[in-house]
Amino acid sequence: MAKVSVLNVAVLENPSPFHSPFRFEISFECNEALADDLEWKIIYVGSAESEEFDQILDSVLVGPVPAGRHMFVFQADAPNPSLIPETDAVGVTVVLITCTYHGQEFIRVGYYVNNEYPNPELRENPPLKPDFSQLQRNILTSNPRVTRFHINWDNNTDRLEAIENHDPALGCGFPLSCTPIKGLGLPGCIPGLLPENSMDCI
Amino acid sequence: MYLASGGDDKLIMVWKRATYIGPSTVFGSSGKLANVEQWRCVSILRSHSGDVMDVAWSPHDAWLASCSVDNTVVIWNAVKFPEILATLRGHSGLVKGLTWDPVGKYIASQADDRSLKVWRTLDWQLETSITKPFDECGGTTHVLRLSWSPDGHYLVSAHAMNNSGPTAQIIEREGWKTNMDFVGHRKAVTVVKFNPKIFKKKQKNGSSAKPSCPYCCCAVGSKDRSLSVWLTCLKRPLVVIHELFDKSIMDISWTLNGLGILVCSMDGSVAFLDFSQDELGDPLSEEEKSRIHQSTYGKSLAIMTETQLSTAVIENPEMLKYQRRQQQQQLDQKGSAARETGSTTSVAGVVNGESLEDIRKNLLKKQVETRTADGRRRITPLCIAQLDTGDFSTAFFNSIPLSGSLAGTMLTSHSSPQLLPLDSNTPVPFGTSKPSTEPVAATSTRPAGDSVSKDSVNAASAPAAPSPSILTTPSKIEPMKAFDSRFTERSKATPGAPALAGLTPTAMERLKEQSLVKELRPRDVLESSSDSDEKVPVAKPSSLSKRKLELEVETVEKKKKGRPRKDSRLMPMSLSVQSPAALTAEKDAVCLSVPAAALKLPMPGPQRTFTLQVSSDPSMYIEVENEVTAVGGIKLSRLKCSREGKEWETVLTSRILTAAGSCDVVCVACEKRMLSVFSTCGRRLLPPILLPSPISTLHCTGSYVMALTATATLSVWDVHRQIVVVKEESLHSILAGSDMTVSQILLTQHGIPVMNLSDGKAYCFNPSLSAWNLVSDKQDSLAQCADFRSSLPPQDAMLCSGPLAIVQGRASTSSGRQAARLFSVPHMVQQETTLAYLESQVAAALTLRSSHEYRHWLLLYVRYLVNEGFEYRLREICKDLLGPVHSSTGSQWESTVVGLRKRDLLKELLPVIGQNLRFQRLFTECQEQLDILRDK
Repeated sequence: MAKVSVLNVAVLENPSPFHSPFRFEISFECNEALADDLEWKIIYVGSAESEEFDQILDSVLVGPVPAGRHMFVFQADAPNPSLIPETDAVGVTVVLITCTYHGQEFIRVGYYVNNEYPNPELRENPPLKPDFSQLQRNILTSNPRVTRFHINWDNNTDRLEAIENHDPALGCGFPLSCTPIKGLGLPGCIPGLLPENSMDCI
Repeated sequence: MYLASGGDDKLIMVWKRATYIGPSTVFGSSGKLANVEQWRCVSILRSHSGDVMDVAWSPHDAWLASCSVDNTVVIWNAVKFPEILATLRGHSGLVKGLTWDPVGKYIASQADDRSLKVWRTLDWQLETSITKPFDECGGTTHVLRLSWSPDGHYLVSAHAMNNSGPTAQIIEREGWKTNMDFVGHRKAVTVVKFNPKIFKKKQKNGSSAKPSCPYCCCAVGSKDRSLSVWLTCLKRPLVVIHELFDKSIMDISWTLNGLGILVCSMDGSVAFLDFSQDELGDPLSEEEKSRIHQSTYGKSLAIMTETQLSTAVIENPEMLKYQRRQQQQQLDQKGSAARETGSTTSVAGVVNGESLEDIRKNLLKKQVETRTADGRRRITPLCIAQLDTGDFSTAFFNSIPLSGSLAGTMLTSHSSPQLLPLDSNTPVPFGTSKPSTEPVAATSTRPAGDSVSKDSVNAASAPAAPSPSILTTPSKIEPMKAFDSRFTERSKATPGAPALAGLTPTAMERLKEQSLVKELRPRDVLESSSDSDEKVPVAKPSSLSKRKLELEVETVEKKKKGRPRKDSRLMPMSLSVQSPAALTAEKDAVCLSVPAAALKLPMPGPQRTFTLQVSSDPSMYIEVENEVTAVGGIKLSRLKCSREGKEWETVLTSRILTAAGSCDVVCVACEKRMLSVFSTCGRRLLPPILLPSPISTLHCTGSYVMALTATATLSVWDVHRQIVVVKEESLHSILAGSDMTVSQILLTQHGIPVMNLSDGKAYCFNPSLSAWNLVSDKQDSLAQCADFRSSLPPQDAMLCSGPLAIVQGRASTSSGRQAARLFSVPHMVQQETTLAYLESQVAAALTLRSSHEYRHWLLLYVRYLVNEGFEYRLREICKDLLGPVHSSTGSQWESTVVGLRKRDLLKELLPVIGQNLRFQRLFTECQEQLDILRDK
């Protein structure tokens, strides 16, 4: 059971010019006081084609987090245009807000972002080289895509519990201290545990 | 109302319905599918070292059981989470199912170790272990949910084998025999679930009205993806539904009315089946069911607990009467409570005097941002609400918009603080997800979030792309699909730097934060408490007690030497103790070593004449004239007594120092330590008594005469019966050690002497124990803290008068005021002090043999016990009052207490006991036995 659940993410100042900072007002609820800080990140997806063009706009630690309901504003600078492939500058892309605890990502909130020229002329005849100063960023706030991941919230180095299909035949045999797979919880190994995420957006 | 869930995170979470929060959605889920109910976690139970496989509430809701792959079953105290009552060890495999016996005597568990174990709830020990039907069981199932029939007769196991065919084994309660089973499933049975109702045959028109045996209904789910429903009166299943799901059945749940059934499967879907009464029969009412339990297992097994009381059967018309009355009161209270909440909501949405609106406007400016040692940004989030499981306060902070879409319209949506409920998503973090409704089977739909399911993580499935029309560039639909993986998969970028030392918040910051959080609450508490902190005018209670003194006929006679007194008002008399040793020696040492003789009380000097009014109604005077008649040089003293006009007089040979009288006797103390006693007509009753030392104070009440001598010894005699009540008892033990004075002396109608001392303590001498008892202490902190006002009967709160009230010198209601002030006293402490105080009052009244006050305090005490639910003490009292029903010669039981018949007292207490339904057994028991006694 997740100790932290995100209650709401409000996108402030939307739509806004491409160069203005992102501002998200995040409210979350925490069941039990957390020993350590949460780490929040804003990731701007430069191109749908590849993760290569992802930009981490900012990362911020949030803490201390006692049990209760909290909110904060997460502000991050606009993405660096020079890192965005020219062909992907205009059109739909994605901005992600993720939160990790002890290096484990437990929630990802994604928004579609549409970058377009508000000026009808420019829209009809876009310049070959995108003019970022003219672009307007519009975050599709009505449709956040929220994915929650199961993580280990406790301090010990328990393995991340395998989800269902826990094979009882195997389970029977080994000790329950979970030592055999110790170490999997370390951050570097996390991408290897993809099957345990859960998707619960529309 | 609680809900328990067990997870693969080893935790059991207990949820409470948040009733003041309306439906809401989970952030990120489609807005249309709102959670109708809001549940909030109130307890997290940690004990298991592995996945929790099943949880079960006991029939009386007093216990919660959980079982786990750690091979144990844990019994939790549902009244006091997270207390563990027992950990049942004995299984050597994963425990995968639990069921309580419907009358709460047993709990059964089934495990992978090919055994089913039945445990006693009495001592939490193993009753029996059944292995034979499971010997052949190979392979495994995810769950082994067994079930006990609602009549308690049968326990049905999950996965058992009979002739190499999978079965659900029927185990009889009688002798745990395993002769029958449910056969037919092609694969292992995973779930058995009895319908909570017991049924009887539907009476058809025209058919013979032959009463049929009640029967039970049972659903069996299997790995073979099919479900069968059985009636215990039929040899074959009522219905079998094949291939209901794509995967094994995981759990089954009947609706409360017994006509619906919810089945969930590994494939992530839930099916609902609906039955008609024609198919299942007529369900018995809870009363009938309870009657069956009682006739089978006796009343004692059906223990009552608070939570079940609302559905409890009221077994006694008297009880019903009291309950009705109580309900009416509750209704009244509710009404006022509703008014209160109405006023509180008007201040909703305000944190520290600041509306959430303002907070949000300035959040960015206000939020504290620091840099950690390694240069990273660190934001201290603003706490907007505490995790409050109380239903009221949470609603205050809910005016945050539900989804990001509201951001633009934020201001408008918030102009009304009527709370878009957002409390939402803690309860169901996974799940409330897919509004798609494509049917899987005729009766099943895709999961709309099975929060009950133990599988907290659903397999990820590809989400549908959002409607492109919202976006202005329809041409970009294709790339959007390409983003899907980005929403769902952890990117390489996310597992950022692991938490370093710099991330750990300092203790200071943490503290600050916590204190900030705490500030939110106690403010109004403080205010309200200062309101209730009324200053009681000191004069009032004292004048009141004086009036009481007047009412108290001849409890105390007041004597003032020398001057006649026209009124009968009783003035405390002051006797100072001159203890020469005390002045020189250490006080403590005095206490130990100074002989009683060292105490010296003032003595009345001889006077020529004096008059004393004994009482005004009937008016009675004593006149003393010393050295009046000289007959041959002998001086005599004359004692004259006038009672309602009738006079008598007599003469004594020595000078009269002091006199006292009551309606029954008149006594005088003379020089030469002589004490003489006369009847109301002036007849000498006794030859003069020789006192051990000169008289200090003389007192009469009824036929009792009390003499306090100058050396502080006290004697009390009953002159009618001519016996000694208190024999030359020294006041040394109560006066020792300091220059205390006796501020008031009292002799009760039962001849119990009471000394009020100047330090506020009052002692009475208990003749039967031959010891001084402390009956009152003005500095008594118990009295200050005790709060039993809720138990005070409205009408006679102030009317209890008697020696105890006089001694304690205060209205009984004045205590508890302190309690209101000490609002921080935890309820437990308050309870204990109140109990202790009430008990000491009862005991004091008993020692003083003041029947009126004893009755008063006993009633109060019992009322408090009933209100607070103290069963053992209540039982003890009732037992003592009732005494043995069948008279036995060896019985030590006294049928009366301080002149009151105990059984009459019990009759008086019964209505009080009846006010709490929890004690209806006690109520019924006592009443039945009283009836038996009366019939004798």
